[in-house]
Amino acid sequence: MSEKANTSLIMSDAASRNQRIANLLGRAFLFLITSLSTFAVFFIFYFILKDAIPFFKLEGFKEFFTTARWYPSGSPAEFGALPIFLGTGLVTLGAILVAVPLGIAASVCLSDLLPFHIRQIVKPVIEILAAIPSVAYGFFALVVFAPLLQNHGGAILSAGVWIVLGPILALIVVVSGDLTLDKLRGKISPKAGAAIVFPILGTLAIALLYSLSSRLSGVEISSGTNALNVSIILGIMALPTVVSVSEDALQAAGRELREGSYALGATRAETIIKTIIPASISGILAAVILGVMRAIGETMVVWMASGNAARIPEPIYNVLQPIRTLTATIAGDMGEADHVTGSSRFHVLFAMAFCLLAFSFIMNLASEIIVKRSRKKLGK
Amino acid sequence: MRLETRKLLDKAFSGLGLIAIAVMGIALLLILTPIVWRGSKAFVFKGTIEHRRVMLEQFDRGNPDKFTREYTEITAARAPIYKMMEDFEAETIAQISSMESQMDAKKDRAKELKTAARALKSDGKADEADQLEAEEDRLKDEAKELKSRIKEFKTARTEPYDALHEAIRELLGPMPGQRTPVLLRQQYGQTRWDRTLVKLHEVLYTEEWDYSNADAMGVLVETPRVKQFKGTRLEPFFQYLEEHIEEMMRPKTTFYWQFITDKSKDSHIFGGIWPEVLGTIYLTLGAMIFAIPMGVIAAIYLCEYAKEGRVISFLRICISTLAGVPSIVFGLFGLAFFLNTIQVSDSKSVLAGSLTLSLLVLPTIIRSSEEAILAVPRAYKEAALGLGAGRWHTVMTVILPAALPGILTGIVISMGRAAGETAPIIFTAAVSVGAPLKIWETLSQPTPALPWNIYNLCTEHEAVDEIRHVQYGMVFTLVAIVLLLNLFAILMRARISKKLRG
Amino acid sequence: MSEEITLKKIDTFAQRDEVTSPTETHIEAKDFSLYYGDFEAVRKVSMKIPKRKVTAMIGPSGCGKSTLLRSINRMNDLIPSTSASGEMIFDGHNIYARNIDVVTLRARVGMVFQKPNVFPKSIFDNVAYGPRLQGIKNKQELSEIVEQSLRQAAIWDEVKDRLQANALGMSGGQQQRLCIARALAIKPEILLMDEPTSALDPKATAKIEDLIGELRKQYTIIIVTHNMQQAARVSDFTAFMYEGVLIEFGNTKQLFTNPENPQTENYITGRFG
Repeated sequence: MSEKANTSLIMSDAASRNQRIANLLGRAFLFLITSLSTFAVFFIFYFILKDAIPFFKLEGFKEFFTTARWYPSGSPAEFGALPIFLGTGLVTLGAILVAVPLGIAASVCLSDLLPFHIRQIVKPVIEILAAIPSVAYGFFALVVFAPLLQNHGGAILSAGVWIVLGPILALIVVVSGDLTLDKLRGKISPKAGAAIVFPILGTLAIALLYSLSSRLSGVEISSGTNALNVSIILGIMALPTVVSVSEDALQAAGRELREGSYALGATRAETIIKTIIPASISGILAAVILGVMRAIGETMVVWMASGNAARIPEPIYNVLQPIRTLTATIAGDMGEADHVTGSSRFHVLFAMAFCLLAFSFIMNLASEIIVKRSRKKLGK
Repeated sequence: MRLETRKLLDKAFSGLGLIAIAVMGIALLLILTPIVWRGSKAFVFKGTIEHRRVMLEQFDRGNPDKFTREYTEITAARAPIYKMMEDFEAETIAQISSMESQMDAKKDRAKELKTAARALKSDGKADEADQLEAEEDRLKDEAKELKSRIKEFKTARTEPYDALHEAIRELLGPMPGQRTPVLLRQQYGQTRWDRTLVKLHEVLYTEEWDYSNADAMGVLVETPRVKQFKGTRLEPFFQYLEEHIEEMMRPKTTFYWQFITDKSKDSHIFGGIWPEVLGTIYLTLGAMIFAIPMGVIAAIYLCEYAKEGRVISFLRICISTLAGVPSIVFGLFGLAFFLNTIQVSDSKSVLAGSLTLSLLVLPTIIRSSEEAILAVPRAYKEAALGLGAGRWHTVMTVILPAALPGILTGIVISMGRAAGETAPIIFTAAVSVGAPLKIWETLSQPTPALPWNIYNLCTEHEAVDEIRHVQYGMVFTLVAIVLLLNLFAILMRARISKKLRG
Repeated sequence: MSEEITLKKIDTFAQRDEVTSPTETHIEAKDFSLYYGDFEAVRKVSMKIPKRKVTAMIGPSGCGKSTLLRSINRMNDLIPSTSASGEMIFDGHNIYARNIDVVTLRARVGMVFQKPNVFPKSIFDNVAYGPRLQGIKNKQELSEIVEQSLRQAAIWDEVKDRLQANALGMSGGQQQRLCIARALAIKPEILLMDEPTSALDPKATAKIEDLIGELRKQYTIIIVTHNMQQAARVSDFTAFMYEGVLIEFGNTKQLFTNPENPQTENYITGRFG
């Protein structure tokens, strides 16, 4: 409307300058706030390293990483953290053994098997598993699970064998039976072959299961707070991470790929195993890495339910013995070491924290790179 | 492979997937069931008269007249057992004194004999004197034996009786007429019926570990305590106690919702968990005060202002690194930076804990806010800009309101995370015992908090088994807080996606 | 598009006052080019857009007509790595000059988008958004502007009883007219319309077209459309663009009945595009 006195399009130099400065300042402010997380990362590295270095200066590296005597309050104090590193590794490995097969199977099920409305029910279950505070998991492990393991250890172990190995052996029987029948083709009729081969293999499998479970049912667990307990609980805690990240990866593989495979007459299992999983393997790898990070960085569960014994289990794979982890050591010893700031006993905890930090940083970077690369590969 | 096998394998494969999902669901159930079931018993349970007494005397709650009436009846119901105990004490004393008088009589007689013997000796009747001396020795020996028997009798009576006395005190509280114990926990009997039954069992039976078989673990042997009191006035005591325990304790279904809002008395033996709940609320809200502005502003910058490039991808790497830092490392950092370096407070404090937690949840808030902002249709932004709104104005009036539900979802989820984290507050904010803080005290004072005190109560408390219900109650409260927050987020997200689809 | 409506509209076009040559120029492009990165989306376009007339821009998809339209209020600034050369002159200034206040420019050049993009706010707040930006806070004044704008956009009668209702509850056609009202509330001189009816059904389209007929009395309107009948029905002048180049620009009736350029003829007779 031309009768209205329109504001001029041109800003005066001063106004223009003011606006530009205001703009710049605003941007600078926003940028500053945003980079706070960068500062935080640097500060974390700096402050952890600052208190970690005195330890290495005082005690060197060799004892810390290679010896197995952990007596930080003894005189002379001994700082052999090898059992603690091994303990961390052991429970992380255990957690991964629980979380990865379950997690990948569940994510496949979520992305390719379940109808939409059931998925809508399962997803909140995963979210709730992820949301339960770690101290609640720790409480469960210590107050409910540990006494169970201690009192009914043998029964639980043998039931576990049936539950875990049962389905796997059944699959192996079916596959190997089928392969044998393939070899025997032409020599005997397939029906007769099947009638001979499957019962033999089945009996073998059941006998194996039975002997294993009866051997395990005699085991007495002297302490319910041990590596097995912690591994299982940590595995459950890492599950949601593994499931949701790898499900994303499987979804990203796309419809076209699936249709292509189905169109060639592949079954759903074959499509998933031979096409979808290889296509999304990097995403799944990233999921595993994130699961490892979740397990390795967890404090409360291991502190409460691992037994906190800083010695190497004998034999080393004996998960029924108590162990100790880096996180639990930091949490447990800081309370005592806090009063003696400046001593090796205080700094050794920072050295451990630095190892944790460095490890998770590398893992995180690796998963980022893997995900980025896979995105490029998928052209997204 | 044969087609049938392929089909079978396909089915087996689906089965494995379903098993995995089922395992997940079962795990969730297995973990939540004991927490919810036993946790709810901290709120709803059969409370005894002692609970009502604690409530009245310590929390000034309940009807004093009604209580007094009830308590009179209960005192009457308890009177017989106290009477039996008094009788037993009196009987024992009488028995001892009768034995002592026997002993004294024998001693006196021995003394008499001695003087008599001496008299006879001086009279020269050595034979008779010897006879008397032999008699005297016999009496002396008898007196000595009696003395040791009295000693034996005393220990045989008093040791079990003291143990019984202690067990009864734990069950019913101090006896009438006894001096009030110093410790609060000793001033009351069992407040809960389930604990009452446990303690009753301890009164009725003595426990001993049998290690006679060196190869196996020790075996617990229980013997009825009544055996120790056979033939005494306490023999009917145990049966009477067992039969009349309900009259003595009057269990009533109690709904103790104040468990959340009551202070704890005598380190959680009585009362509720308000200091912990309040501490958790302070820490969570404190973390949010710092994390929300920082996180949302960062998300706005990343979505609306930043030009993709090296700086931004570096920023993003830092954010994801921050997300991957183990929580215990955050705790150490909080200690080393907020407390030891810039000294936000002299000791651990809610402030330091909140700052540490805010760093922990920052990446989550940034990411979810970013997602929410990116989900706002471009058209809104164009419309606002087309109407002559500046960039900042567009963000504030159009984009943020539209993204708000999504941002809130992220915030609510991170609140749950902040409320449940333990490791970051161990060194920065949490203490085991403390009073509820005033709001200004949060700047300088540490606080109890649910996650930390759950750990503390179930590992370091001196009476771990006595207060299981408190531990479960705390876990239940914490899990309920976190899950309610998450439920809220899930529902909100469902509404958003419905809106976007509709 | 239903046959009946099309015929009726073509009639209106025929009865319109004949405009043979551009009158007063409102906006002028001089050798104007716009780049997305290296890609030249608009190539050295020169044209004078007349005041208080409807100018239509037609051409096949991707010909740069929308880009050119969005260049007029610098909406392309939002897309990273765009750059412009040449001049776009409005009110005596090149709007791509350094010291131009883009916010004022956009307040003086209103825009209506392809899809109705009402804010998820009340109807009243949608229309009042622009005036509030300009610092009008007085409730009385705001309601007057809102009513006036809604009347101008011919939607007042439909919404006057539910001004506080959420605008997302309206039908698509109503939403688009609300968007027009919202654009009018900032009292612009020029109204840019980027395919304003492409997301609407024929009935709603007819209403919008009627509205354009009303609005041309007060505003300079530039409309991008890929519906040639629509261009013929509503516009006084038409510009045909192809691959970023302005092929032909002139009186609508003349361009449709007697195009000078064979490419234009091919396009409007449907031989390509």
